[in-house]
Amino acid sequence: MRTLLNPALMSALMSALTPRRLLAVASVSVAALGSTFAFAQETIRFGAPLPITGALAPEALKQQQGYDLWAEQVNKAGGIKVGDKKMKVEIIYTDYRSNTPRAVQAAESLITQDKVNFLFAPFGSGAAKAASTVSEQYGVPTIAATASSAQVYDQGYKYLFGTFTPNDTLTNPLSDLVAKKAAGVKRVAILARNDLFPLAIAQEMEKSAKDRGLSVVFFEKYAINTLDHSAALAQIKQINPHWIFATGYINDLVLIKKQMADQRIEAPVVTMVAGPAYKEFVDALGKSAENISSAAWWHPAARYRGIDIFGSTENYTKLFQAKYNAEPDYAQASASVSGALFQIAIERAGSLDRNKVRDQLASMNVQTFWGPVKFGPTGQITSLEPPVFQIQGGKTVVVSPPAIRQGEFKLTVQ
Amino acid sequence: MFTLQIFLNGLVLGCLYACIASGFSLVWGVLNVINLMHGSFIVLGSYLAWGAYQSIGLSPWITLVIAAPLFYGLGWILQRGVLNRVITAPVLVTLTMTFGLDLMLNNAMLLAFQADYRKLNLDPPLGTLALGSVVVPVDRLIAMALALALTLVLYLILRQSRVGRAIIAVRLDRDAATLMGVRVPAIYAAAFGFGTAMAGCAGVLLAMIFPTSPVSSTAYLGKAFVVCVLGGLGSVPGAVLGGLLLGVVESFGAWAIGPEHAVTLSFALLIAFLIARPQGLLGRQGFE
Amino acid sequence: MSFRRTDWMLFGLVLALGLTPWVGSPYVLRLGTFACLYAVLAMSWNVIGGMTGYPSFATAAFFGLGAYVGGILLTKGYPLIAALGAAALVAFVGAMVLGVVLLRLRGHYFAVASLAVAEVLRELTNSATDLTGGGMGLNIPLSAVAGAGIAQAASFFFLTMWGLLLLTLAAVLWVERSKLGFGLACIRQNEAAADMIGVNATFYKSLAFAISGLFVAMAGTLYAGWVHYIEPPDVFDILFSVKPIVMALLGGLGSTAGALFGAAAFLALEEIVWRNSLQGSSGILGLLIVLLLLFLPRGLVSLGGQLVRRPHVEAAPGNGR
Repeated sequence: MRTLLNPALMSALMSALTPRRLLAVASVSVAALGSTFAFAQETIRFGAPLPITGALAPEALKQQQGYDLWAEQVNKAGGIKVGDKKMKVEIIYTDYRSNTPRAVQAAESLITQDKVNFLFAPFGSGAAKAASTVSEQYGVPTIAATASSAQVYDQGYKYLFGTFTPNDTLTNPLSDLVAKKAAGVKRVAILARNDLFPLAIAQEMEKSAKDRGLSVVFFEKYAINTLDHSAALAQIKQINPHWIFATGYINDLVLIKKQMADQRIEAPVVTMVAGPAYKEFVDALGKSAENISSAAWWHPAARYRGIDIFGSTENYTKLFQAKYNAEPDYAQASASVSGALFQIAIERAGSLDRNKVRDQLASMNVQTFWGPVKFGPTGQITSLEPPVFQIQGGKTVVVSPPAIRQGEFKLTVQ
Repeated sequence: MFTLQIFLNGLVLGCLYACIASGFSLVWGVLNVINLMHGSFIVLGSYLAWGAYQSIGLSPWITLVIAAPLFYGLGWILQRGVLNRVITAPVLVTLTMTFGLDLMLNNAMLLAFQADYRKLNLDPPLGTLALGSVVVPVDRLIAMALALALTLVLYLILRQSRVGRAIIAVRLDRDAATLMGVRVPAIYAAAFGFGTAMAGCAGVLLAMIFPTSPVSSTAYLGKAFVVCVLGGLGSVPGAVLGGLLLGVVESFGAWAIGPEHAVTLSFALLIAFLIARPQGLLGRQGFE
Repeated sequence: MSFRRTDWMLFGLVLALGLTPWVGSPYVLRLGTFACLYAVLAMSWNVIGGMTGYPSFATAAFFGLGAYVGGILLTKGYPLIAALGAAALVAFVGAMVLGVVLLRLRGHYFAVASLAVAEVLRELTNSATDLTGGGMGLNIPLSAVAGAGIAQAASFFFLTMWGLLLLTLAAVLWVERSKLGFGLACIRQNEAAADMIGVNATFYKSLAFAISGLFVAMAGTLYAGWVHYIEPPDVFDILFSVKPIVMALLGGLGSTAGALFGAAAFLALEEIVWRNSLQGSSGILGLLIVLLLLFLPRGLVSLGGQLVRRPHVEAAPGNGR
């Protein structure tokens, strides 16, 4: 009897019977009771695991803006048409603290505990790939709004789709444009952040440049959390390249450009991925940002018309501006279109059946405000033609492809 | 001349590092507390400068003067209120305590300011200065000068004022200081206050140079660690020397073995010093 | 050497945990796997931190090391056993070698040096892109580790982690009750005196450090296989060093049972906080840590009473040890 009351045992028991578990037991009982009353599901639940805290927090903010705008528009119109009734949309957010394994855990708990119907992948290629295994195992259609690496989609999964085309679709048009408009540019210097996406796209850039006969005279990686790039930049200054290509997140790129100005480095072409697409980048650098070029999967200046709920790029930009008082960039647009694509698939399938929705996504070939959408056999989108743009006069101006061009490509960055 | 540029870059960077680290070193040396909140305090200082400039156009130079007493008060309250209760506990406990406090502070800043980066851009910008074939950015130069000035002020306070000398006395021998009539808890609070004030001021200076976001706090903290060990705990001149050493080593190292290894180099240097000369360049032997 | 009654009870408790695959959903299994992982980390840390009194922040270094050594072998097609063995060996040898250098330091300096080791390892891993994938991460195909199917994979990883927990528990209890454990306790109390009474402090410390790293590395390998995508900032995360310390403090510094219960309690707290607070989860975790340190300095175990050994913690004023 004494051993039963053993405090060690008690504390172990106490820590095992957490409020969470008691609640779980209680809710299962209630659910079991409730199902006998044929309690119908009133909303369509979408799971969105995001890095709300931690190093990637700035990105999560953008994603959330995109998802929320779509959900708001859908619900304002009464909801998604499922068969002969309309159902409203509910987005369940979970914070995985910028930690990839937690992202996988978050995805699983959204599916098994929160019982979401469909899933938005976590941010970035690494986390999206890791979490896709979970959604594949449970058969939950998932759209990745921010995963560009082709390796994310190479596991032969059927339930994963992505709205970003592979990295070389950014670097190739860029290289083509520079080769055409700036014939004197022959020497390229590449400075890449040692992180999944920035490094991957830098490597693609190296390939694209070499394929067009340019010589890569400098390729260096800098560590995450680097506070000072002056040594690398001093070397670049010495080498005097024609084209400087830098990758990183917005804070890195702002710092790099600032230090370039500090050291009075000039070049005919300076390209940065992925800062210039964001308004904060232009604000942070002011005049120093002039003529910096970049490429991204979408730009508000595009003039796409589509069958999605937003209808056209212009309309999307207008609605976004009304809600958030800022211009959208590709990150938010990608999140919004992920929702819109689910909507189209559900309406075409006429039901919430996961396999039917999945099949609709796989066979989709539509026009949207994001551009033409057709997924390839791996689930990654293949139909986009990413615009190349440049900062001119403090605003981003699209310079390619010709269909949506707003201005001419200019040389010289100071 | 190229090497001169690299060297100069390293020196300027080094002074910024010294500024980041001097408060951290003081707290560690005097209170035996590794204050993991230091990075977040710096970020808070940056936000203060940015916010003041953004909303009422207050020049960062003025914010600097305001920040010092403000952060001193913050540090003082924190120490008296929370840290003092565990001040006699082993390093584990105090380290974990400051870790927990830092989680709270960082999360609070994240909620208050959002995670996206803010940049304080002076209008008109300060530009660059050319000395022969070597170029130096003016804002870093001014920050460097102010950082050195602040460090000098701190040093003078420690040497000349009553409070300062009491702090040094406590650092040398706590019990003897008590016997001499020094009220140790108050001194601890003062030292922590000074440390926090230095962090806040460093933040104000750095706001013009680096983009600001709560996620930068770990980068600053990492540098502070290394500089402290290099320079010697509790020694303010040591922090300057350590900072300069780190700046120059990183600068040349990035050139010699590539920028990706710059962070590794700084930590490898830290370990090397801990093994060979744990008291740092100017610290005292046996003071652990 | 004699095992106490509590030791057997502890062992039995953990043994009983092995029934989870038959009573829990995949979500519960995932939670349980985390529990076993945390317990392994906390108990391992306790060997060097609690028993020997050296505040090590190297847990993340060993964890990441094990994750990458094991992970790379798994991607190259070696069986899990080989990967685990290699990780354990590398960690053990590495710790012994590193120990020669690091264990000469005390208190703060040791803490900082051990922290720096994790940072250096992380950056080295980041740069060795060809071997480790560098910043782009390492993918470990699920097929290399476990069979297909949700429930099977979840059970498989739970059972392997649980197995490791049993192994760690047995080893740690053995250390605690053996001559080594006695020697470590002497070192913790007064290293110079311990030397004088014939305890080979250097050897014992190194052994303790190596043991603290060995099981953590194996846990890292299992972790890599479990999440099947690792990148340096994930597995060398400082939190992997700090959390085991908090768990040990929560449970009661110095005792194995304390580490075990501390791990369970911490996981429960973390899960509750995470599930209920979206924006403030890390802040609340910080608050919990602060409150714990202020009001429960001796840990949960001190609430228990007589049957569990109460550890002795040094707290001399101004003593930074």
